[in-house]
Amino acid sequence: MAEPLLTVENLQTQFFTEEGVVRAVDGISFTVEEGELVGLVGESGAGKSVATSSIMRLVEEPGEVVGGTVKYRDQVIIDFEEGPDGERRPSDEMLSNKQMRDEIRGNEIAIIFQDPMEALNPVFTVGSQLKEFIEINRDVSGKEAKQIAIDMLREVGIPEPEERYDSYPHQFSGGMRQRVLIAMALSCEPSLIIADEPTTALDVTVEGQILDLVDELQDKYGTSFVWVTHDMGVVAEICDRVNVMYLGEIIEQAEVDDLFHDTKHPYTQALLKSMPRPDETVEELNPIKGVMPEAINPPPGCRFHTRCPDAREVCRRTRPVYQDVSGPEGYPHRVSCVKYESVGYEDSEPLDTEATAAFGGDIIEAQGESNE
Amino acid sequence: MSSTTTKTEPREDRETILRVEGLTKHYSQGSGLFDSIWPKPKVKAVDNVSFEIERGETLGLVGESGCGKSTLARSVLNLVEPTDGAVYFNGRDIANLSGEELRQQREDMQMIFQDPQSSLDPRMKVGTIVEEPMRAHDLYEGEREERARELLEKVGLDPQHYNRYPHQFSGGQRQRVNLARALAVNPDFIVCDEPVSALDVSIQAQVLNTMQELQDEFGLTYLFIAHDLSVIRHISDRVAVMYLGQMVELAETEELYENPQHPYTQALLGSIPVPDPRSKGRRGLLEGDVPSPINPPSGCRFRTRCPKLIAPDEYDMTEREWADVRRFTRAVKRRTFEVQGEAQLRSEFFEQGVPSGKAGDTVETALDSLLSEEWDQAETLLQESFAEPSICAQEKPDYTVETEHGMDVHHAACHLHRDGIESTANAD
Ligand SMILES: Nc1ncnc2c1ncn2[C@@H]1O[C@H](COP(=O)(O)OP(=O)(O)OP(=O)(O)O)[C@@H](O)[C@H]1O
Ligand SMILES: Nc1ncnc2c1ncn2[C@@H]1O[C@H](COP(=O)(O)OP(=O)(O)O)[C@@H](O)[C@H]1O
Ligand code: SF4
Ligand code: SF4
Ligand SMILES: [Mg+2]
Ligand SMILES: [Mg+2]
Repeated sequence: MAEPLLTVENLQTQFFTEEGVVRAVDGISFTVEEGELVGLVGESGAGKSVATSSIMRLVEEPGEVVGGTVKYRDQVIIDFEEGPDGERRPSDEMLSNKQMRDEIRGNEIAIIFQDPMEALNPVFTVGSQLKEFIEINRDVSGKEAKQIAIDMLREVGIPEPEERYDSYPHQFSGGMRQRVLIAMALSCEPSLIIADEPTTALDVTVEGQILDLVDELQDKYGTSFVWVTHDMGVVAEICDRVNVMYLGEIIEQAEVDDLFHDTKHPYTQALLKSMPRPDETVEELNPIKGVMPEAINPPPGCRFHTRCPDAREVCRRTRPVYQDVSGPEGYPHRVSCVKYESVGYEDSEPLDTEATAAFGGDIIEAQGESNE
Repeated sequence: MSSTTTKTEPREDRETILRVEGLTKHYSQGSGLFDSIWPKPKVKAVDNVSFEIERGETLGLVGESGCGKSTLARSVLNLVEPTDGAVYFNGRDIANLSGEELRQQREDMQMIFQDPQSSLDPRMKVGTIVEEPMRAHDLYEGEREERARELLEKVGLDPQHYNRYPHQFSGGQRQRVNLARALAVNPDFIVCDEPVSALDVSIQAQVLNTMQELQDEFGLTYLFIAHDLSVIRHISDRVAVMYLGQMVELAETEELYENPQHPYTQALLGSIPVPDPRSKGRRGLLEGDVPSPINPPSGCRFRTRCPKLIAPDEYDMTEREWADVRRFTRAVKRRTFEVQGEAQLRSEFFEQGVPSGKAGDTVETALDSLLSEEWDQAETLLQESFAEPSICAQEKPDYTVETEHGMDVHHAACHLHRDGIESTANAD
């Protein structure tokens, strides 16, 4: 197998707030291969957006990347080394901020943010913003930049691109604004696009159009994607491989088919069971009990133990270690749950929580009692 | 599902709690957005919508952003004054109520709003929030706190949370507070505008389950609005689909999802990503955007995007020829391509040749116009020849079709059903 395009290893990002340290991203690792579409999925607050801005070195105060390595091909985006006094400090190999700006962002890796209104300036026309972006990032004249901008708008399906070039962002629908951002991301022909919930705010019909567009672009340019979403439907639709996040950690990592049909982690299983389906009548939903705890004070041991239907005594004490549970072929299927380790899960007493009460035993009594 | 009984009872035995007739709401001033583009035209947010809701059932209302769902909800509750049409609650026209009757109606009809964050006053404790409607209606004097605590428990919160502020709750919990408040004065009917849209899936399921339990316990009737078709399928007994201010299809839930008869519903259902990588995936995608509600298309409002737009009677084209002409007509209108010579135009739109006869002559003239860069001329000719004369542009459709699942009436506002001919769903 060739070198991955992007390698993320043990990435850690924290926010130093008045209430304490928020461990928003707490040691995640994953790779993106050439031409691949890798999903990052999880509920709100899981750490998806912080993870993506960390990779791009765009985390702002009071946040800080405090550990781990991020490599793009052979360029080092993030790396730490031990200083003479034993302190962890950024390593010399890391690209400078200027290099990040000039060589990586836009050119090699483009990012599409969660809120298209945030990324577009309301007082300038869509066309002028796109043109400026192209001029900054590519060595072309203003006239050429305008032509590329119009071509990109047409490419992403904006009707009448010549006329629409002079429109302001608020004159576009949400779907059209999202297309403009995709046009912007594509305009510098990056090898990797990181998209943070790009379709979450859109209607299904528009989302469908965007997903199709991504398909087309992948075929045409071989662009790789990191696609952040909380929608398992979108994951099933477009991802090659998936990372499921919970409370700052990746708890399961697998090829998309394995994730849905050979699900290992109790959280992923519960997530899939709690969803209403568009294509079949589900008589009763099985919600996950409780809410995700604050990242400022994550539960000890397995972070999911307060809500896990399979939780046992050992889960409260033991921090699960990534296990490779894959078959002989394909990409690794990794899971972080003590059920797959030999640390005495079998002999451990079930924890007495609402989650274990509702799901365990034979009496299915998932309804009727209060949550939280 | 909660009120399965309504599904099996013959229609006559059911009791209509709400009847909406020809409801119309035209906003006379544009919002900021429309103001800047077209000064002060009317926004036709809801246009001539009629339906009924039976006591104890959940009617799901689904449609894309901006199609008029919230406007319809507010008009039903008389929170905005309808431009036309009437709403009958328990048989009484709510526009004509006054005094005791008005007070009673306000008590019996409650609403849960779209955004759990902004709908709760951040300075009020949740206890006070839940008691607010009781005070407003002068009810439960002396037992309000006890009732509020009871309600908090009913919606799955800790009664101890009575003294907390909204910001101390998660989104899902805040939506539960909203539920408790809506239940405070013991209503019969609750309009729920996107009550779970802002919530994570796992929390969504908790709130949906609670809503169904409460419905069973208190015999509630819901008008449940969402843009998520999976949620609507789960919670609803019957489903209404809206497009650009109008109702396009209305049927029992199973019937609507398994036997959709309106091309828009089919496209909507076709675009949902199914949470299974082995499923066939999406199909029947729509092109373009929803037109502006200020000047909606004549006849069927979906006609500018409909993949099944009916050919005008005057032409004699095969299915394939009409499909080419339809696609060409729309591409010219939307300016989605560049003219790079005749060969390119012909191969891009008429790979199998231009149709013969009258239709073909028109297409040839339009091609000539394009080749001399006369876009407007080509567009006008194509619109006048192919789009405007279609029955889809001439008449507003309104039909009932044969029901395959269940026994309830199935409305589908599409001219494909004009002769009572069943369209072949999905065959495109
Ligand atoms: N006060 C108002 N003045 C003018 N136009 C309005 C007003 N409120 C809503 N509209 C317009 O009416 C149409 C319907 O809006 P409405 O809020 O009912 O849509 P919706 O279906 O609830 O959408 P969403 O799913 O985004 O909540 C839209 O075009 C909207 O811009
Ligand atoms: N600026 C910030 N200050 C403090 N905490 C933050 C900040 N931004 C994010 N967080 C915290 O980091 C965690 C992950 O957030 P985020 O990455 O935005 O989640 P997601 O994108 O998965 O919804 C959350 O606990 C969130 O509250
Ligand atoms: S380690 Fe224990 S609590 Fe965590 S997911 Fe596995 S079984 Fe559940
Ligand atoms: S009436 Fe015509 S345009 Fe409207 S949905 Fe039916 S076929 Fe399509
Ligand atoms: Mg986010
Ligand atoms: Mg709304």
